[in-house]
Amino acid sequence: MTLPEEGTLRKIATFVAAFGIGVATYIAIADSGGGAPVCLAGGSGCETVANSTYSHLLGVNIAVFGIIGYALLLAASLMRGDEARMGGFVLALIGLGYSVFLTYLELFKIDAICQWCVASAVLMAVLFAVNATRMVGYVGRTA
Amino acid sequence: MSGKSSREARREARLQGEGEDAAGERRKRLLQLGSALVFLAIVAVAVLIVVNQNDSGGGDTSLEDTELVDGDLRGIPQSGLTLGNENAAVTLVEFGDLQCPVCKGFSEQIVPEVIDAKVRSGEAKLEFRNFTIISQESVPAGAAAVAAGQQGRGWNFIELFYRNQGPEVSGYVTDEFLTEIARGAGVPDIGRWNRDRKSQAALNQVSRTTAEAQKLGLTGTPSFAVIGPSSNGVEVLGTPGSAGQLEAAIETAG
Repeated sequence: MTLPEEGTLRKIATFVAAFGIGVATYIAIADSGGGAPVCLAGGSGCETVANSTYSHLLGVNIAVFGIIGYALLLAASLMRGDEARMGGFVLALIGLGYSVFLTYLELFKIDAICQWCVASAVLMAVLFAVNATRMVGYVGRTA
Repeated sequence: MSGKSSREARREARLQGEGEDAAGERRKRLLQLGSALVFLAIVAVAVLIVVNQNDSGGGDTSLEDTELVDGDLRGIPQSGLTLGNENAAVTLVEFGDLQCPVCKGFSEQIVPEVIDAKVRSGEAKLEFRNFTIISQESVPAGAAAVAAGQQGRGWNFIELFYRNQGPEVSGYVTDEFLTEIARGAGVPDIGRWNRDRKSQAALNQVSRTTAEAQKLGLTGTPSFAVIGPSSNGVEVLGTPGSAGQLEAAIETAG
């Protein structure tokens, strides 16, 4: 199987990470105003999730950690070399693992689904696939 | 001349081979490092999960007295927030606030006796009406009880809430807490309950009964009232100190 060019993988990662920053920023802004993200498909899932105690980590909205994570992934996608390849892979793995946990909370603890959180989890899964391919395929090779 | 160039070619090939070996070795080491980092990433996620669970109040907290409440109420019909035979001549009304610690005491020590003596037999029915006086959080709690009542588990919700009540106005009345109570109370459709508890109808019912309590001149919870063929409309009993007093009031109103 032929691997995609590293440049292509980096471009995809850059685009997805930038999109992720947008999604996380929207959630954080909606929460900072005392409200909740608006579920575009209707329903009160976003509000229920935003009002749940799981939406904050050490008093800070999880979306803020999301912005930081996506920003670091964006930086890794813009950089060359093995440090960027490995850093992007580890960050995406942490992001994906935590996203899976948050989705579990939505489904089984909060009993509500927030589309914005699902969107973020999907973006994180794409970033993990791209960064894992980049790491396994190109680490130790000339940038 | 040809011997010299041949030696150079062999040297270059050897150097190239060594370079490739070194690159291969480096790549192998980096991939091993990557495997170690996977482990670290898993640890990092585990730490985040533990912090999040602790931060949100404990995650898998187990409710107390679920089976006790279930046993106390088993076999008694429920409709909305009314416990007992709908056609019972006498209605004992409890105006309560789910966050009220005195109501919790009544729920554990006095109300079960009344249920056993008068409600289970069909002599009287017991109706809970929200009288939200502790804090704003009592409103969503009361509406959650109303929504549970719409699925025939109102009294299970109320009793289980009291048994697992937290310190007054400590912020424990969260969506997770209410959901856990609803689950423990056996509300069959949690999704529907979630919608119903936020509906205007449920919130209106809470504010309506609170206004009614105020109109009756009640100032604290729990306050009781009795309605029966021999009572003078809604007869306010206040906060009787024993089950016997409530039972006597039911007999007088009947």
